[in-house]
Amino acid sequence: MSHAPAPILKVAHLSYRYPVGQIALCDVNFVVGVNEIVGLVGPNGAGKTTLLLHLNGLLLGTRLAPRNGETASVGTAGYVGAAQNAAGADSNNESRAPVEVLGMPVIPENFPEIRRNVGVMFQDPDDQLFCPTVRDDVAFGPLNLDFPRDEVLRRVAESLASVGLAGFEDRRPHELSFGEKRRVCLAGVLACEPSLLALDEPSSNLDPRSRRGLIEILKKCPAAQIIASHDLELVVELCSRVIVLDQGRIQADGPTREILGNEALMARHGLEVPLSIRYGLEFGKGPR
Amino acid sequence: MPGDFLDRYSLGNTVCHRLPPTLKIVLAAAVIAGCALLPVAYWPAHGCLACLVFVGLSLAEIPLSYLVHRLALFLPLVLVTALSVPLSRGFAGGWEIAATVVIRSLVAFLAALWLVSTTPFDRLLAAMSRLGMPRLFSALLAFTYRYIYVLFDELARMKTAQRARTFGKRSAWQRWTATTRLVGLLLIRALNRAVRIHGAMVSRGWRGDMRTLD
Repeated sequence: MSHAPAPILKVAHLSYRYPVGQIALCDVNFVVGVNEIVGLVGPNGAGKTTLLLHLNGLLLGTRLAPRNGETASVGTAGYVGAAQNAAGADSNNESRAPVEVLGMPVIPENFPEIRRNVGVMFQDPDDQLFCPTVRDDVAFGPLNLDFPRDEVLRRVAESLASVGLAGFEDRRPHELSFGEKRRVCLAGVLACEPSLLALDEPSSNLDPRSRRGLIEILKKCPAAQIIASHDLELVVELCSRVIVLDQGRIQADGPTREILGNEALMARHGLEVPLSIRYGLEFGKGPR
Repeated sequence: MPGDFLDRYSLGNTVCHRLPPTLKIVLAAAVIAGCALLPVAYWPAHGCLACLVFVGLSLAEIPLSYLVHRLALFLPLVLVTALSVPLSRGFAGGWEIAATVVIRSLVAFLAALWLVSTTPFDRLLAAMSRLGMPRLFSALLAFTYRYIYVLFDELARMKTAQRARTFGKRSAWQRWTATTRLVGLLLIRALNRAVRIHGAMVSRGWRGDMRTLD
């Protein structure tokens, strides 16, 4: 691992407890390198979405490694380390924040830089398409990054073209099909040219054609990606590495075929071995 | 689509649709202001303004049936308001005032209807911003326009789900309580959605001010 490229994302001892009390994430550790596409799998309620929300600071967990079997000490919502950082605990500044993006700790001071580098796509496209027209929506990110108007329009045209929706600028979100909505969401995220894409269930509710289109778009995307999904065939096709999350903890982390091919592991965490792996099919497992 | 009442005619292509939105806003505002400010004694002027609005509506090819539908929702409200004047005088007078109230609100209502039926909503908002409407208002209106469709869809789905589990006849009371539950649920869902939308906005670098391309 000594020759591994600098990590885009580093998560160390991340723990999070919801304000209502239940523990959502517990001592989560992993690193995502440049160009890596990582699948995040696990049963419903495993903490996949919660984990993604930490990557750009929408949720702030604590850096806390619980002692053996003791989980009651996980802090509540809010990042307790931030105050200490501000007070100038300089030497271990970085080591305080549980999540680091491109070497920057995810703390409020770094939010603008982190949010331009981490693009999050949410499950429900209606939550993410909040502008009256497609153009306004894709332009939202670049406008917030203070780009001049020409550059914003160039990025809008470019990212719409990259998701195969060139010329959709004047359409209204409520007129679009579900697949088109999701692709506009992706265009809105890509328009900020992020280094890391965090995708929450990108293929859910898509018909096979839209799903195929989305997979091809993601294959071409140069950013590192972390894809939370129940669509294990998509994970097999896109991801070289997979993380299994269950009950807020990482249960396995390794090469996709090794992990998803492990029958006992899959069964233990409410998953199943994808058919392409079970029957040794290689189609769709193209080189990245 | 349940929420298509807003855009049903605004995407047409008539003389009225092709006029610049800013001009249309000024025209409609002028008609509404003129109608409200002209004294009762100048009633032929009111008639002229009403004619002007009807000419506009027919040039925009907005069907009469649509106008009747809109007016059916609006007129009762105005009539009750107008009748309160003679009522307060024991029906011994105040009829001219009542008539003026009805005519003025009718002309204003139809002028506004003409405006929104000939201009797509996003262009209307952009033009209003150019005319000096505060950003906060245009942002609020833009969100309302965007999510009214989502809310209507959600309501329609909830109603369908409710009907699918309703058997036989129900009393008025049962229907009433079911509806209140539906409305409460819709409110909770809308609040949850607002939280998620806020997260999506923040994720794309939003820092509290609405920026638009114009």
